[in-house]
Amino acid sequence: MNLVLLPVLLPLLTGLALLVVARPSRTRRWVGAGSALLQLVVALALVVHLRDGGWLVMMSGGWAAPHGIAITADLLAALMVSLAAFTSLACLLYGYFELPASEEHPLRLPLVQFLLTGINLAFLTGDLFNLFVAFEVMLVASYALLTLEADNWDIKQAFPYIAVNLTGSTLFLCAAGLAYSLFGTLNLAHIATRATALEGDPRLVALALLLLGIFALKAGLFPLYLWLPGSYPVLPTPLAALFAGLLTKVGIFVILRLVATVLPPGLDQVHRVLAVLAAVTMVLGVLGAISRNFLRGILSFHILSQVGFMVLAIGLFTPLSIAAAILYLVHHIVVKSSLFLVGGVVSVLNRSDDLDRTGNLWNAAPGLAMLFLVQALSLAGLPPLSGFWGKYLIVVAGFGLHQWLLAGVALMAGLLTLFSMLKIWIAVFWRQDDHVPVAVGDARWRPMSWVVGGLTLVSLSLGLGVEGLFRLARQASETALDRPGYIRAVQTASGRPLTP
Amino acid sequence: MALDTILLVGVLVTCGTYLLLQRSFVRILFGFLILSNAANLFVLCTSGEPGNRLAPILDGRPGPRVDPLPQALILTAIVIGFGVTAYLVVLLYRLFLDHGTTNAADLYPPDPSTSEPLPPEES
Repeated sequence: MNLVLLPVLLPLLTGLALLVVARPSRTRRWVGAGSALLQLVVALALVVHLRDGGWLVMMSGGWAAPHGIAITADLLAALMVSLAAFTSLACLLYGYFELPASEEHPLRLPLVQFLLTGINLAFLTGDLFNLFVAFEVMLVASYALLTLEADNWDIKQAFPYIAVNLTGSTLFLCAAGLAYSLFGTLNLAHIATRATALEGDPRLVALALLLLGIFALKAGLFPLYLWLPGSYPVLPTPLAALFAGLLTKVGIFVILRLVATVLPPGLDQVHRVLAVLAAVTMVLGVLGAISRNFLRGILSFHILSQVGFMVLAIGLFTPLSIAAAILYLVHHIVVKSSLFLVGGVVSVLNRSDDLDRTGNLWNAAPGLAMLFLVQALSLAGLPPLSGFWGKYLIVVAGFGLHQWLLAGVALMAGLLTLFSMLKIWIAVFWRQDDHVPVAVGDARWRPMSWVVGGLTLVSLSLGLGVEGLFRLARQASETALDRPGYIRAVQTASGRPLTP
Repeated sequence: MALDTILLVGVLVTCGTYLLLQRSFVRILFGFLILSNAANLFVLCTSGEPGNRLAPILDGRPGPRVDPLPQALILTAIVIGFGVTAYLVVLLYRLFLDHGTTNAADLYPPDPSTSEPLPPEES
């Protein structure tokens, strides 16, 4: 049994088992949380195994490389899988505290497991068409989760998400067909061998742009982002946190994987397009966040601006900036989910997350206020916190390439992030208003804030222990950029060379 | 490559895109159906011209065979598309039950309702 397949198998089997026992119960919840914990252990074992670089490859069914489907893991994929397991564990626990077992929708837990199956498969697959399947598994589960518990008012907000993603999936299928006709293979390592010979070919540039456009759509990059901020607030809080933490990051991960590992490094124009679009996304995302007046809306727009940071780092395309992108990915998944969870606690305490109807929480829940402050400042990028290091490295990488404008835009977006976070802080925690009810008697908010506290501890330790994290990110970027190493690993696993 | 297939893909994509841009969600559903069929046909094109080649079934006869891989891909894509379509139909049915319409113009009135707060959660 190869360790690589476990992150895909575990959630799949758990999801199926949870489907068999349809009635929501406490045992079912234990199974869900236990499975998430097990996934975390497996993923951390993968990280430990791969921390010095190298690839772990499994050929499914024992078929050799170009025909058999490869499941591959490097440090980057292992990091992403462990983050997915960690976030899902936190969001599941939060959901357990939020709703009693009897009120939980019977399909929520299995669907979350299927979502994780898709996400983990997308991180680990070494085959373009299998990536399509992984995306579909993930998206179908996300469509179902989006509309499962939505009420009459909410359900129509899900439609733009579904329509846009369906179109994206169809385009992805076409792109897979084009890639097959251009390279004669769908195995990513095999594509990497053959793409080098096509360097400078306009067809390769066109295909790269098409693929990156599709994943930019899934990641929410300008100009393909308008579906995101409308649909994420529809979700119940723990699921919104899970989506915000993971779904767009899958798009970014695939962009990173394609740009760094699969496509030849000489595609300068493509990288430049990515960087410029990312800068525009950053600014528009943060401006949208400022324009919104309810917590989940603001946070949803912030996802976009952070997506901009990561893609900008990918677009700069130096080993340092790729490492910065990985560092930022790790930081952002933890911080973003915990901010969404804080928003959930606020709407339990204030019965609303509209900034006009919240307030008084500094007196009622000072601990929660501190947790929010730490995470908000981390998101804005203030020095000792985890967000600062990612931003700092991205700006340093931008200066290193003399991209003054892009780096300046990144700095400005950070400043505006701080502004919109202060807007939340003032309206929710600082404002004293006798008309705003605070339901401190609601016993749920304390255990819910413990989950947020746990996430905050992790994010704090990411910020303070940035040296170790940076070493990991550095190693991950080196492995991801090592295309010959990847090709060699797949060849060794399948036992025969890939014909160029 | 066969010109007629390419033309057919072009026509299907045009119709699908036109329908996707309509206001009624039922039309969007049909647009998606047509577009996914266009995509399947497009992937089939990548296996090259079928002229005089055998289907990829091993029966011992000699001769050039059609590339089986795109057909396997299409089979997968059809299954996935079927599942998604079933989901969409049920969702549209629910939308119709909830709102009595599937027209986007009636569902999203032009008032600034998007900045309205979400209804408070029941506890």
